Amino acid sequence: MSALREGIDASKLGDLAGTGTETGARRYRFGPGFIGFSGHFPGNPILPAIVQIRAVVSLAEAESGKTLRLAAVRSAKFLTPIRPDEDVWIRYRRRVDSGMDICDATLSVAEKTVAAFQLELAEGETPR
Amino acid sequence: MLPISAERLIPHRAPMRLVDTLVSVTDGCAVAESVLPRSAMMADGEGKIDEVACMELIAQSYAAFRGYMDRMNGKPPGEGFLVGVRNLEITGTAYAGDRLLTSIRTVAAVGGFAVVEGAVTRGDETLATGTLTLWLVDPDAGGG
Repeated sequence: MSALREGIDASKLGDLAGTGTETGARRYRFGPGFIGFSGHFPGNPILPAIVQIRAVVSLAEAESGKTLRLAAVRSAKFLTPIRPDEDVWIRYRRRVDSGMDICDATLSVAEKTVAAFQLELAEGETPR
Repeated sequence: MLPISAERLIPHRAPMRLVDTLVSVTDGCAVAESVLPRSAMMADGEGKIDEVACMELIAQSYAAFRGYMDRMNGKPPGEGFLVGVRNLEITGTAYAGDRLLTSIRTVAAVGGFAVVEGAVTRGDETLATGTLTLWLVDPDAGGG
């Protein structure tokens, strides 16, 4: 596991909350020492977009119990920067669309949506 | 002036800076080179680079292009933020030590926003392609 994924896992708060096998929600708090803030940016820490997307994929993996990879980002909107020590709720719902495994996800801080994604997931590793 | 170290062009610093060198610039297009080490934060124990890194490579390559153009125009490198992604397809896996080239093309630049098409390649193999939207901060704008 990469240092990034370890850092994301260490930032989880509470238990995975799901309303079914295809949905999930979890709270995260990325502290000032989180590796993703290092160098992004000096004196102005902002949670990188790739961390936000990686966290969604990791959350879906945890709920499904299967190794998942990111096959595509169909769309992503980053609306508001996420700063250190903010409580971030990540919620997702998985569905099948034209045979593709689609994950609709939102990130919110203080009940305000700060990012929204539509990801395409696949089981297993990316082809080498 | 090219090739030039990306560290001179973008605000990202280790370990989040993924682009090493801006290699070429022509007419709204640019190519940047990256060789991620085994110690990279996105590398697992086998040296496999997390697929999400491709998105950041495209974003940082554009940032390096913009930073270069700002320098050529006598301005300090400005700030920019990734605000959108469309149709990013990830078709291959990068590994630590791979020489990755990220090509970007400016599709549109309007009202402080830039739409950029990018591709990450390793040799003849395309690892990812996609379209990013970035918001470019106007350094002359008021406020704090």
